[in-house]
This record gives sequence, structure tokens and C-alpha cells, in this order.
Amino acid sequence: MTLFQASEIVKVFPGVRALDGVTLSLEAGSVHALLGENGAGKSTLIKVVTGLYRPDGGRLLLDGREVSFGSPHESASAGIGVVHQERNLIPGFTVGENIMLQKLPTSRGLIDRAAIRSEALRWLAELELDIDPDQPVTELSVAQAQLVEIAKALSVESRVLLLDEPTASITPNEAALLFRVVEKLKDDGRAVLFVSHKLEEVFQICDTVTVLRDGASVLSGGALSELTRDQVVDLMVGRVHEALNLPDRTVDTSVAPILELRGVGTATGHSEVDLTVRPGEIVGLYGLVGAGRSELAKALLGLDRITAGEVLVRGQAVKIRTVRDALRNHKIGYVTENRKEEGVFLEQSVARNIAVTIWDRLRKFLGYVPAKSETEMVKSYVEQLGIRIASPSQHAGTLSGGNQQKVSLAKWLAAQTEILIIDEPTVGIDVRTKDAFHTLIWDLAANGLAILLITSDLPEMITLADRVVVMRDHRIQGELPNTHDYDQMSQQVIRLIHATPSTLGAA
Amino acid sequence: MTAPVSETATQALQEDAPIEKPPRGAPWWANQRIGLLVLVVLLGVLFGILRPAFYNQQLVIFPLLRDIAMFTVVGLAQLCVLSIGHMNLAVGRMAAFSMMLTGISYDLFHLTLYSGLLVGLVAGTAIGALAGWVIARTGVNSFVVTLALDFLLLGLIPLVYTGLTDNAAFVTKPPGMRELRNYSLADVCVGNVCGSPAVPQLALFAVVAMAVVGWIYARTRLGRELLMTGSSVKAAELSGIPTARRVITAHAMSGCLAALAGFMLAVSTGSIKATIGEEFMLPSFLGPILGGTLLAGGFVSIWGTLIGTALTSVIRKGLDLLGVGLESLNIYLGLILLVALSTDRVRTVLSERQEVRRQ
Amino acid sequence: MKRFARSTEMTLLVIGIVFFIGLVIASGGDLLAANSLRVLLQFLAVPILIGLAQMVVLAVGQLNLAVGAIGGFAAAAMGVLMADHGVSVPLALLIGFLLAGIVGLLNGVLVVLTRINGFIVTLATMTILLGVQYRLVGTRTVDAYPQGLKTFGAAALFGVIPWIFVVALIVAGLLAVMLKRTVPGRQLLASGGNPIAARLSGISNDRSVIVAHTLSGAILGVAAILTVASSPGVNKSIGGDWLLPSFAAPIIGGALLTGGSAVVLGTVLAAFIVRFVDTARAEFSLEPSWVNFVVGAVVLGSVVLGQVRTRRQERRSVVKSPDVAVAGGVS
Repeated sequence: MTLFQASEIVKVFPGVRALDGVTLSLEAGSVHALLGENGAGKSTLIKVVTGLYRPDGGRLLLDGREVSFGSPHESASAGIGVVHQERNLIPGFTVGENIMLQKLPTSRGLIDRAAIRSEALRWLAELELDIDPDQPVTELSVAQAQLVEIAKALSVESRVLLLDEPTASITPNEAALLFRVVEKLKDDGRAVLFVSHKLEEVFQICDTVTVLRDGASVLSGGALSELTRDQVVDLMVGRVHEALNLPDRTVDTSVAPILELRGVGTATGHSEVDLTVRPGEIVGLYGLVGAGRSELAKALLGLDRITAGEVLVRGQAVKIRTVRDALRNHKIGYVTENRKEEGVFLEQSVARNIAVTIWDRLRKFLGYVPAKSETEMVKSYVEQLGIRIASPSQHAGTLSGGNQQKVSLAKWLAAQTEILIIDEPTVGIDVRTKDAFHTLIWDLAANGLAILLITSDLPEMITLADRVVVMRDHRIQGELPNTHDYDQMSQQVIRLIHATPSTLGAA
Repeated sequence: MTAPVSETATQALQEDAPIEKPPRGAPWWANQRIGLLVLVVLLGVLFGILRPAFYNQQLVIFPLLRDIAMFTVVGLAQLCVLSIGHMNLAVGRMAAFSMMLTGISYDLFHLTLYSGLLVGLVAGTAIGALAGWVIARTGVNSFVVTLALDFLLLGLIPLVYTGLTDNAAFVTKPPGMRELRNYSLADVCVGNVCGSPAVPQLALFAVVAMAVVGWIYARTRLGRELLMTGSSVKAAELSGIPTARRVITAHAMSGCLAALAGFMLAVSTGSIKATIGEEFMLPSFLGPILGGTLLAGGFVSIWGTLIGTALTSVIRKGLDLLGVGLESLNIYLGLILLVALSTDRVRTVLSERQEVRRQ
Repeated sequence: MKRFARSTEMTLLVIGIVFFIGLVIASGGDLLAANSLRVLLQFLAVPILIGLAQMVVLAVGQLNLAVGAIGGFAAAAMGVLMADHGVSVPLALLIGFLLAGIVGLLNGVLVVLTRINGFIVTLATMTILLGVQYRLVGTRTVDAYPQGLKTFGAAALFGVIPWIFVVALIVAGLLAVMLKRTVPGRQLLASGGNPIAARLSGISNDRSVIVAHTLSGAILGVAAILTVASSPGVNKSIGGDWLLPSFAAPIIGGALLTGGSAVVLGTVLAAFIVRFVDTARAEFSLEPSWVNFVVGAVVLGSVVLGQVRTRRQERRSVVKSPDVAVAGGVS
């Protein structure tokens, strides 16, 4: 039985048709996947369904009746619950209040705390969760907070539940708990929409799938059992995706490592981390989100305390205290995963974004920075990296994700770094640009840069890395030479991640 | 200087995608600063027509320019912290604190006019740096820290004055102070050509301050790093900018300029007293904000600060001449602030609607 | 109970009690005399209210620079209405109260409509109201209003607890109930705590902002009434020294500038402590300036401590308050 249907939805933003005839139908007692690359229109579609955007065309049908939502509240009262990507709990409130926030029970004008407690308990019990409704949400773990949000979404008596990237920031064990909850919701006859980037999960728990590409649904409601992983990827990408052909590159293993970590422990909880990177080598640091990879990079840059072991740069034991120190004295650069907040200055010109690391070098008497040498430097990188801009004075915030990432990378190339830590370089970047980035990273290594590549994208890792180091729970699980053979490598890596410490010797 | 990007990579990175054009800039007439300048001129003409005395060089223009000069420096003091997205609520009290030390240096150590100024500037820089240091060290909001500092100084300054003076003012005036108050460019002559008697010499302090601050923000590494810090602290930190040090620098600059403004006020009123700077808070925000400096940080306008300050001072003076009570002027100043910012907001909204946005 | 024991309120309560006992000992017990206690509490009423007026806007992540101006303007309006226009006391007080509420409402509406930073909007309304207040009273001190009001201002329950203090406590109680136990109150705090989540839960953040500013204005209206009742007259300087204490009380009381915290009790306790500082100053016949100095130090100390505490909490928690300190330690 079709519970909810969005049919031929059109959403136009000035100059862009973000959604152009998207159809999505959700069946009772079934888990439906919504797939698509970044920018394909998934989040716009969710915003239309949840009443944040009004569609410019098409119809929304609930139980066969046409509905229209003017606000998130209206869609919630109609029975559509959502768990958004960002954590959406009110910090100062209890679990119970957060669950019941959309319709706080009152008696005689005052909030009825007993009713909150009993109602919240009911929804927590529905999910078989053992959480005290009077507990402040600030005391919950990430996964608990997520589950509380599901309870909150259910509390509006929702029969349709949208889960937007629910596993992005939780551990596999926690995800397993979440999937059990999803199964239960399905058995209760609810319709669940599951939005995820992780195809393994989609194939594991979803029944049917809708694939979006460039704002249109290229597959609407196909049964996942009849599809292969490759077919789904091809649908998302829109062409048969060819493996990238990269020229040969060999690492001179006789050269001493330029960066070496010996038994490093940090204030964020790393311990016994050993790692080496040679000039011209790409070392992949793989692990699930939360394994502590970016935190390790930040500790290396002096943003967090290193509490044990030693860091050697060019064979010398060093103590790096600030990013400036890392850059100036050791030529280490870090391309952050969080592009919008840490990578680029959205409200500043592209020129300044690229030149930020070199002012120190360009400055003359009294800190004077000659505009000419700055402009030349910027121009050269804009051309080499193919950054498509009208002028270097354009604000970085007006650029697409791919171009922003180029800007974020350019400043480290301009700074003439010799060791580059690249964190999730292609998140949110379309497939074509992704290939170009892979070529670039490969090429930088071929030219002698030492690269530590942090990525959660296994194909990316297997394409680029010379060695793969696997991290879990802030420890190194093991290290694998990369054969660039996807099937073999992915199995080995996954096995290594889930190996218990006692079986590690066998890996 | 060549980058390690080879041609293969460069080739792979070239896209056939269209150039992402920035939204078209607003036409010149919608430029906030030009709009303000036109407004200043129009008001100047209007007041001149209504009260020809408005153009009296000695009685109106001279003190008007002196006010504009002083409040511009006050505005610049606020602008320095606004550039990193902070605020300095203690801007007036920092001026009072610096002048207190200047007063002591005149009174007890008999320093010359300019050595005393130097003492004040150093004191202002130090107290500003202290505020910056507390903010950088603790991560507490600048609003709260400078507010608390304001309290501290508000308590401390009268204690010192009552301890050291009889009438809550330093009476010793170094030679040259009275003259500086009345000197105009007419007293500066190159051969037979003398400057205008309408321009006070005190204004030169503001010119120097504007030039230095302008040069820092437009031409130096420090200024750029301050603006980058204002745009995004995280990104600045990760780009190797020592943000904690920049925060201290910005507040130190603010304190130094506050001290300079305090000195200008002391010279033009002829006395060094505990209440110096009490009326600085509102103008310190008016000038920069009207002139387009962002409260959120990352963009400053030095000319805008001058024009914004000029606008408020012209209105003040003009209405004063028209016989509107000095204190009720506030009503108009507040309204102007609201109207100016609201229209600016309306303009932004309109241009955003036209702007092509990708989602 | 365990949570309360670790809270800012508990700390303040302990400090307050210790401080008070110290004062009593220092005064040789004189402070416990009915008259001394009455004076102590008499001058607490208005500080409590202006602290609450600021606290309620901080709760939604806004601030109100116009606290003193709104209070002064409303007080001036009441005084002028009664003295110059012969309006009856209840009507004049009601009009003044409503005016204060309306100005608060206007602040909120302006913030929402123009999307200008609340700092600037209230800076502007502050400036305007200062002018209006001056227009109303000029350089005069308006005191020709009925004696009955002044009698009320000086009256005390059992000769110890001033009625105006009772009024302030009632306002604090109502505000606490509203913020903790009513839907608009919870919505206001939700907007302050996490605006995006609030919006997705069907809460209008705009309405929360307007409600907060209106409440702030209304509380200031009450503060103005108490001021008119308890001071010898109304002049242009009323409200002039309210701004700094209005921030001091909630900040010492544990309010977050980023919004989401309702610290009615903390604000009231902080007002007590500030009052004790003043009493101590009088006790030892020190310069009045010492009070500002000490309060400044306490504000700074309490925010620094608070920051340390939140940082420690953030290491353990995932539902962060939005004001996360970054590596450089810059806010």
C-alpha cells in the first residue's frame, strides 16, 4: 500500500532547476532508499517533503489525498517524521522534552511533566531503548542522541519516517542497533525512507530504491534485490564509471621517511600510533568516521597535545606547537575535511584565500605585502588548478564545492609544503572533478611530495594509496601494501577494521 | 617560484563548466559609502541654507571638524576589534584609563605634551592587549570581557583620581596643550601659503590614524590576517595564522586608538578628568557600522568610518544650530542608525533575490 | 538533586550565605536589625528586575542594550503623567508599563523584520529613548506625584521586607514558571538553545525573539514602577546606570550569551551578591567605585570559570552548545 507519494516534483531556484520531475513513493512496511550524488537534489527533495520548501510543481499525496505543507510543523502533524543529518536536540532540555517538543502536553496552561515522562517513555519503549526521559540530552552519546531523535520523529504518530544520513557519525555497533530499530518500524507497518551514501547499508536494510541524478529521478522505486551495486553506481553517476588510468609511480623505499610517528599518544585518546611517510609516497589512513584520523592530523599540527611517543620530521624529533610552526619550520600542510568552516574563508576573495599562507614569505619592511607578487602567485595557481572564476577578487563563497576545494588545496601548494595531509579531499564533489583531484594528488606525489591521505572513501583509497594504514578507536589496527585491486583490498581492509586485537597477528 | 603541479594534472583539472560568476556588484548609487557622502553634502547644504551661520569657520566648522576627527579615531578604535568579529565595550573607559596615566605623567613627572601622549598610547595599548589576552586565553566572548573590564576601570579610575587630585581632574597642563586646542592649519605656513583656518591641527591626528590603520588593513600581512581571522577563526588557525596573537593585536590597536581619541578629547576640552570617554560608546559603533564595516568581522572600511562619523557629527551640529536641544539629538541619531541599516538590509535582500543561487 | 549540587545556583547560594554571615559578623550583628535588613532588600528590587530583563533576552540569544533607556523612559513618562497631567496613579503606572512593553515589542519586531543584529537595534532604540526621556523631564526632577505611591515604595511587610522587593520576587517567580512550565517559555528557550532544531519542531524563532524582547520591556516597566515608587523623584539620569548591572547579574548567574539558558534563580542570587558587595562597601566606608571594581572582577572571574566548566563538559558530550571554542581559544 502506498502511504506517501511525491509525484513529478519541481523546485526552481533562481537560475537552477534543483528538482525537475522527481517521483518518490513510499510503501507501508517497507524501507526505501534515496540515493544520489551530492547535488543531485536529495536534500532539496527532503526539504520539500518536510515542508521547508514549497514545490513549484508536482503533487504530494498522503494516503492518496493531495496535501501541501507550509512548514515543518504541518508536515509533522500530517504524520511525516524526520531525523535530520545535523543533530537537532535542544541542549538545555531533557530527553523527554526533546521527544515531545513538537506538541508539549499541558494541563491548565502549564506543561505537564508527568505526561511528558509517560509519553516519552512510550516512544522510547517502542524503540526498546533504555534511556531515562528526565536525563538531560547533553549526557547522551552520539548514537543515543540519534535514537532519541527517532523517538522524537515517531512521537508525532508518524507513519512515514525519513532518516537523512543516520549512520554518518556513529560506530558500526551503534548502526547495528539503529538497523534493528528500522526493522522494527518496518514490521510495524511504517514507511521508512533511508538516505545514505553507504551502499553496503542500503543493500543491507532497504527494499526498494529511488535514484536521483541532476534533479530528476532516474530510477523510481526499483527493487534492490534485482539490482547490483555496480548498476546502482552507474545510475547515480550517469555513465559507466571507468577506473581512472593513472601513470606508473614508484616510491623509493630506500629514502628515509620525511615524517615518522613513533608510539604517539594524544590528548584526544590516541595511543601507540606508529606511522611513516616517505617523500613521493601516498600513505592512506583509513578508518570509519570517529576512528580518530582527523584528530591525529590536528595533533600533528599542534592543535592538540601529544602526550606520548615522538614525532620525527626529516629524521629530527620535533615538537610542533602551532600550525604556523608546522608550516614555517617543517613545511607541513593540512587540507581539512571541513571545507566550508575550516578550509576556505567564504566571505573573502579567492586571491586572499590562496595567498593566506604566503604573506609571511612575501612581506617586506613593516609587514608590507606587495600586491603584485601576491596577484602573480594567485594567478598561477588559479590557472594550474583550473579554478573557474571571473576574477581573483570573487568571494570564495560563490564557488562550487569542487572549486572551493581547489582553493583550499592551492594555498598549501603555494606555501611550498613538502608534507601534505589531505583529509577527505573529494567529499561533496562530483565524479568528474573527483577524478581530476585523484590525478592531481597522484601527480603531486610523483613530484616528490609526501602525502598522508585520510579518506573514508574506500575506492579512493585503493586508487591512490601506496600503503593503507587502518585506524580504529584511535589506534593503528595494521598496515597493508596496496595492490590497487579493489575486491581484494576492500576485503582485507574491512577484515582488518573488524579484527579484534587478539586476531591481529593473523592479519 | 613554480608549484609542483604538472601539466597532466593541470589538464585533468580544467573543466568545461561555465565560469561561476559572482553576483553583479550593486550599481554605484547603491554603494553605501557614496550614498552617505551624498547625504552628508546635502545636509551640509541644507543646514547652510537654513542657518548661514553653519558655514562660520571659527565657530562652527572648526569645532565640527575637531569633533569629526576625534570621533573618527574613536570609530577606528572600534573598527580594529570589529575586523576580527569582536567588540570593545570598554573603548571609552580605555581612553579614560590612558588619559589618567597621561595626567599623572604631567602632574607628577612634568612630562612634555607629547611624551605624556606617548605614555597614554602605551597605557591604552597595554590595557587593550590585556583584554585581548584574556579573550584569547579563556575563549570567553569579547562582549563579556570588555564589559567586565569596563566595570573594573569604571571602579578603578575614580579611585585613582580621588587619591591624586582635588576635583577629579588633573590641573597641570603641559605647555602647548592650550595652543594645540586652538591651532588651525592657518598656523602652518609654507612660505606665504598658509592652510585654512577652519581646519584644526588636531585633525591631523585623525589623518595620521586613518593612514596608519588604512595602510595596515590594505597593505600589510597583519591587516589581512586580522580580516581572515574575522572571517573564520577556524580556517585562519588552520591556515597558519596565529589567531590568538591576532586577537591580542586587534584589541591592543583598539586600546591605542582609544587612548589617542582620549587625548584629542582632553586637548579640545582642556582638561584631563575621570569622565573622559563616557560618551564614546555609541559613536564608536555608529561610524564604522554606518560606513559598512561588518559587525561579524572580515571587512572594514576606513573611509566609511570617516563618512559615517561625519554624517552623525554634521547632523548633531546642524540640529544644534537649528535650536534642537542637545540631548534630544539622540532621538535623531538613533533613528538615522535604524533607517540607514534597515535600508541597507532591504538593498541586500533585493540583490539576494536577484542573485543566482545554487542549491 | 545531584545536578543541583553542582550547579551555578548552588555555588552562588553558598557564596551568598557565607558573604552574608561575614557581613553580619563584620557589622557586629547590626545588619540583622529590621531597619538594616529593610534597606538591604529595598535596594535589591530594581537590580533583580533589570537583571531578569536582560536574562530573558539572553535566553533567546539576543541582548538588550536599551534596558536602562526603556526603564528611564517609562519612569519619566509615569512621573510626567502624574505630576504634569494629573493622571491618576494606577492609570499612569499602567500606561508607563505598557509603553515599556511596547518598546520591547518594537525591539523584537525590528530585529525580526530587519534582520539587523539585536545589538545595533537596541543600541539605536537606547539612543532614541535617551533623547525622549530628556524631552520629557529635561533637567527637572519630577516629584510632584501623589504621596500614596511613595508610601507604598517605602512600606515593608512586618517592617522588614519591603513591598517593592516582594513585587520583584513575584515577577521573578512568574518568569521562572513561564520559562520552565509554559509552552511559550519552553519554545523561547528552545529557540535560544538550538534555533534550527526549534524551527524543525514547528517553533517560530521569530516569535520567540519578539516574545523575549516584549517580556524584557514589560519587566523593565515593572522596574520603572518600583523606581518611581521608591525614589524621591524622576529625572533624566534614571536608568543611566542600569546597563552594566543588567549584564552582571545574569552572567554571574550562569547565563550563556549564546542563548538557551534560563537562570532566574541564578540572576536573583547574583543580584543579592552584588548588593552584598555594596553593603560591605558601605560597612567599611569605602569609595562607591569599589563596587564597580569588584563586580567587574566577579563577572570576569565567573565567565572564565564557566568557560572552563563548559569546555570540560564538551569533551564528554555530543550535544554541544553552539559556542564551541576552537583550537586558538577565540570566541
